[in-house]
Amino acid sequence: MSEAAIEGAEAAAAPAAPSALRRSLRAVGRAGVVLAKRALMLAVLLAVVFAAIELLPGDAASATSERGESAADTAARRHLLGLDRPVWERFGDWMTALPTGDLGTSARGERVTDLLSAPFPNTLLLGATAFAVTLAAALALGCWAALRPGGAVDRIVGFASGIALALPEFVVSIGLLLVLSLWTGLLPAVTLTAPDGSPASWTMLVMPVLALAVPQIGWNARIVRGALADQAGAPHVTAARLDGLSPRRVLLRHALPGAWPAIATGAATSTGMLLGGAVVVETLFNYPGLGTVLAGAVADRDTPVIAGVVACTGAVISLVLLGADLIRARTLGARP
Amino acid sequence: MNWTRRQALGAGGGIGAAVLLAACGGGKDASSSPADSAGGAPRKGGTLRIGALGRSSATTRDPHGNQGNESDYLIIALVYDTLTAPGLKDNTVGRLASGWKASDDLKTWRFTIAKGATFHDGSPVTADDVVWSLRRLRNTPAGAARLPGIKAENITADGKDTVVLVSDYANAELPLLTRLSTFVLKKDTADKDIVKAPGTGPFKLDWFRGGNARLLRNDKWHGGQVHLDAIEVTMFESPQAMANALLGGQIDVASNAGAVAARTAASRKDIQVVRRPNDMAMPIVMRTADGPFADVRVREAMKLVVDREAMVKQVLSGYGTVANDILGTGDPAYAKDIPQRKRDLAKAKKLLEEANFDFSKTYELITTEDIPGLAESATLFAHQAREAGIKVEVVKQESGAFYDKTWLKGEFYTTYWGTNDSVVFFASKTMVTGAGQNEAGWSEKDFDDTYRKVIGTADKKERATSLRELQQIEYDKSGYLLWGMADGIDLAGPKVRNLPKLPGYGRVQLENVWLAR
Repeated sequence: MSEAAIEGAEAAAAPAAPSALRRSLRAVGRAGVVLAKRALMLAVLLAVVFAAIELLPGDAASATSERGESAADTAARRHLLGLDRPVWERFGDWMTALPTGDLGTSARGERVTDLLSAPFPNTLLLGATAFAVTLAAALALGCWAALRPGGAVDRIVGFASGIALALPEFVVSIGLLLVLSLWTGLLPAVTLTAPDGSPASWTMLVMPVLALAVPQIGWNARIVRGALADQAGAPHVTAARLDGLSPRRVLLRHALPGAWPAIATGAATSTGMLLGGAVVVETLFNYPGLGTVLAGAVADRDTPVIAGVVACTGAVISLVLLGADLIRARTLGARP
Repeated sequence: MNWTRRQALGAGGGIGAAVLLAACGGGKDASSSPADSAGGAPRKGGTLRIGALGRSSATTRDPHGNQGNESDYLIIALVYDTLTAPGLKDNTVGRLASGWKASDDLKTWRFTIAKGATFHDGSPVTADDVVWSLRRLRNTPAGAARLPGIKAENITADGKDTVVLVSDYANAELPLLTRLSTFVLKKDTADKDIVKAPGTGPFKLDWFRGGNARLLRNDKWHGGQVHLDAIEVTMFESPQAMANALLGGQIDVASNAGAVAARTAASRKDIQVVRRPNDMAMPIVMRTADGPFADVRVREAMKLVVDREAMVKQVLSGYGTVANDILGTGDPAYAKDIPQRKRDLAKAKKLLEEANFDFSKTYELITTEDIPGLAESATLFAHQAREAGIKVEVVKQESGAFYDKTWLKGEFYTTYWGTNDSVVFFASKTMVTGAGQNEAGWSEKDFDDTYRKVIGTADKKERATSLRELQQIEYDKSGYLLWGMADGIDLAGPKVRNLPKLPGYGRVQLENVWLAR
């Protein structure tokens, strides 16, 4: 949707002689439109979240009630939590408070911002590290494989990445745990938390990051390899090769720039997979992040907490997608 | 003994091991590990790193709040004192209260505050603080269930060190009610200051963050000498991650880790498996008010159909004991002399025929996966019932759906009680006519009358007789099929000594724990 919009804007603006000012204005405007669209999409997503939790059996008052509570007590708590009001009213209230940074109150009476203040940065750290590892490894492997198409390296990378992308995070996690921790004792099995709420040691990040990154490296290495193969047939790349430039130089200077849009889009979709996989991986490694918050909140039908998590992760994914869009637009725009 | 049991399971597996396992009585082997015996002179010092289950979305700091996390309750119970606490020989032992006495009519109870009890900031605990705290507790949404029969205005101070509780009705067991959630804070603590409010407990809060905490020894605790320098509590979302942390030496104790984790740890000789018998009841509920189980003969038949030994061996991996359809098995007053009900398919069949039970119908047994083993218990029971010609189909419900649609209403479902408590507790909460959690919709005049006699009798002997009678009625007629009791299982590293042996919430009493060199 947004990509089409950008290309449309591109086409319309192409004939005009671009001055530096107009170009940058156009870029800002383009980003603004995309940003607004993404924000709207996030709002729709949040509405869906509210509606979906409403459809689940039970509500936060009953899900968090104590065994000793009578039906009347639970009803009183339901009123206290505002759950006796229609769902669109609660959604409206929650959305209007959102711009002020107020994410509401959990079913157990804690402020949602307090509940998320430590886990969100932790998940960002985990996700960003896994993302960086994914990107670096996928680029390295993809380029290495593309140097000699059909060579031994190419075949091995193709085979291994196929397996890696088919492996669920759960399986990778268990394998890592057994080998790196329980058998060899090289790494701590779970993440313990320091007084500031972050992981107590960087070594505790290694296994969760690898568990998240391995399947995504498989996916992205294939995309890099594929995009480079597409570029290999492009006229300017063929010309560079005929000029007698070294394969490495042809790959890095001539083929790779054209492959960026596809690579960026592939990597951006990985963000969603990384954050989604975090739910499983965080639980297995007891990593203090958003995934664990979300799992518990769904069981509790704790709508404000779930919506808070979705808003945070949704915003991150939107920003990454926006970044990918901009890279695409830039690369495509630079071409005649 | 534990080791033998594990080996046997490993070798034979499941039913094949049943014969071997039958030789091991349940519940006694806990004493074989050093963690729960004093084992020499306590050593002062050291930091105990303990893992407890909890979910970060459900963390709460309010001692009178709705604590869904074991980790939160553990932290709160170490920082704050309740008036009384669960005990091993007596159901109720003193904590912040050193003693209590009832009036002749058993309605007015006077609790004396322990001498020298102070808050962590040094100020003494007064009756006003206790009254304010109990009233605050009573005024929470679940307050009526936590202090049943005691109105907020009937909690008053008498002088500096006496608190008076007046019950609406005679209640010989009132001190039972003050064991689990009567945490005492300073009078007039504002809601926003709760998170840093000083307690009176054996440990002071150093820091708390996202469900994890560090606690420091309170050198001036009124309850006596505390050995540990500090306790570090780590919250775990899954028992498996907690067990891994213990196996990897990242924590010293995995609290309430469960049978699966115990199985994982069994091959490691340096890990102590501490069993706390009578921890968890997971009975099958049969609706008595109406439906196919309304006939008491049908209910008795079901209780005769179940193979209790097999249930304990397979569902609980042997980490448990056979029970006798009476809830409150850990109670010192539990009627051990009532004969153990055993599998008797012939008698069951006869009873069912007398009751014109419809054998052609398939009966749905509704269960959840809320706790490990619960759904398995339903499946195994269904299998056993089939051997008696009764068609039972197990239906799994998601927790939210279960509490919404089935709990308190269903005809045939599994439930569980982790607060393994006294016989009177279960009678009052789940069996007396109109009780808030009367899961089987039971209303039995005999039972109600006897219950009232129990809580309205001051004379100890007379009360014991009535209590025995109460259990006999429960055994004969109630809607509970209680086939066994799961052990609470803590895993501990080699240095941990003197872990609590109590079931249920008693597991949080860590003030006597110490670390060997």
